[in-house]
Order: sequence, then structure tokens, then C-alpha cells
Amino acid sequence: MAHHHEPLDPAVYKSQVNAVWKATVWLTVITIVEVVAALIYMEMYEAGQGPRLLLNGFFVIMSLLKAFFIVGEFMHMRYEKRALVLTVLVPTVFLIWFIIAFLWEGSAWLNARTFWEVIG
Amino acid sequence: MAVESLHPASADQQWGGGKSPFNVSYGKLMMWYFLLSDAFTFSALLISYGTIRFMSPTWADPNEVFNGMPFIENANIPLGFVSIMTFILILSSVFVVRAVQEGHMMNKAGVVKWMFLGILGGAAFLGCQAWEWTHLIAGVDHGHGMTIYRNTFGAPSHFGQLFFLITGFHGFHVFSGVVLNIIVCIQAAAGVYERRGHYEMVEKIGLYWHFVDLVWVFVFLCFYLL
Repeated sequence: MAHHHEPLDPAVYKSQVNAVWKATVWLTVITIVEVVAALIYMEMYEAGQGPRLLLNGFFVIMSLLKAFFIVGEFMHMRYEKRALVLTVLVPTVFLIWFIIAFLWEGSAWLNARTFWEVIG
Repeated sequence: MAVESLHPASADQQWGGGKSPFNVSYGKLMMWYFLLSDAFTFSALLISYGTIRFMSPTWADPNEVFNGMPFIENANIPLGFVSIMTFILILSSVFVVRAVQEGHMMNKAGVVKWMFLGILGGAAFLGCQAWEWTHLIAGVDHGHGMTIYRNTFGAPSHFGQLFFLITGFHGFHVFSGVVLNIIVCIQAAAGVYERRGHYEMVEKIGLYWHFVDLVWVFVFLCFYLL
């Protein structure tokens, strides 16, 4: 009943180990860059001033890049069958609507409450 | 004859199991779909954070809230401690990947060693989070005292509620992951997987553990960076 798996080919093993350490370096470097960007921004501008939107866009793109390394390399998704990858990734497209709709709703609430002077 | 087609399909027409079209086992596939549903749960939490933040005229400045450091009184090191926490969780994830790879090589000692390091990393992360929560709730320096009812950082009390809810929910995932990792480590050491002939359980639990790291990327983004 036990279907024994043969050990992996040492050359494949070696290349996979290298790929993982490479991804680790990337994740670390990206996190450091993010924190440094946040600190530089804090030093340069008062809170609420400056090109905040640009910085936030940078943070979002960097986080997606980190997600790519974690899902692709650590969770091994880059090496899975395409059909499996699609069944997992395609449903997350709904999140785009989810984010836009709810942030829109949030700012509409703020506008309404400001207009009717519910809040200062 | 037409009647033939009404007969039940013959055995060779039915899928009798065997090789999966996705080339993964049932357990691993279901772990992927569980993680997808869990990703939606976390997305809903983080998007409600965004909605409430957009609704509020003021919000807390992360550089001001998260500037504490253990063993340094009145520290003002913005994002310093959380960077260390992030690095610990990334490293822990890497250790578990190494355990999975040693499993592919059928190397029992390697699996146990890397899994153990992964457990240490997870436990260290939980310890850091415990310190951070304590610091925010009961820290004496610059008027902390953030709870789910109030916060002292010039933002609605929602900030505290969302912070404790979301980091708590993530922390509970980390805790469950550490428990699962401990079980896998003990079973690997006891030779359960060696007898079974494969180390797939390490892969499945590993997937869950990496997912916890993935969620942290976005918790870090929403609470500490944006």
C-alpha cells in the first residue's frame, strides 16, 4: 500500500535549495527598502503632506512582489500544473471589485458626514 | 443497437481514481482551496479596515504608534520592531521550505532539524506579538493605553479594534501553525513518514505555514506602511 517515493535527483535538489535562498534574499531586501522608504518620507514631509499616493502605490507593488515570491517559490506554485494555478488564482480577481467598491463606499460616507456636519 | 447506450457505463469509461489531473494529491489540493477561502476571510477583514479608515476624518500615524522596542525605554524607532518581526516570520517560512525539500530527499534528520528551527521562528514571532500588544495596551511611555474601547493616537477607537482583531486573527493562525508544525516534527522524528514512504504531510502543513507568512505581508502593508 505504501507507494515509496524515490529521493529527488541531487542536482534538482540543489537548484531548488538555491532558488529558495534567492527568494529569501529578495524578500528581505524588499522589506528593508519599504521600511527605508517609509522613514525617508517621514523625515522629509509632515504627516499628510507630500506625494503620499505615490508612496502607497510603491508599497502595494512591493507587497505584491513579495506575495509572488512567497506563493511562487515557497508554496511551490510556479512548478504546479497550470490548471491548478488558475483555479486558485482566478477567484482572487473578485478582490479587485471588493477593494474598489468598499473604499469608494468609505469615502462616500466621509463626504456625506462632512457635508451634513455630523463630524467636524 | 440503441438499447446498448442505456446500459450503465462500462468500467473503462468511469474515472477510477488514480492520477489526478492536477498532479497533486487530494489532501494537497484541498489545502490549496482551504487557503483560498482563508485568503478571502483575511481580505474581508483588511478591506473593512480600509473602509473604516476611509470613513474617518483622522487616523493614527503608524510611525508614531509602532515605535517601541523591547529593553529600550522610551524608544523612538519607527517600524524597527515590526521589521524584526517580519524578518523572523520570513526566516521561519524559509526553514519550513527547507524541511519540505529534505522530505523530498527522504532525509529524516534534515526534516526534523529544519522543522524545529521553523517552530522556534514561529514561537519567536508570537513572543514579539505578545510584547507588542502588551506595549500598546499597558506601555507606560508616551501615553499608550490603546484598547478596543479607546486609543490615544488621535484616531477613532476603531483603530484599536481593527488592530487587535486582525493581528489577533493572524496571531491565532500563527499559533495553530506552530502547533501543527510541532505535530509534524514529532511524527517525522518518530519515523511515521519514513514508514509511510513519503513526506507529503510536511508539504501540506508547510503550505499553511507559508500562507501565514503571506497574510503577514498584507497585514504589514495595511497597518504599518500605508
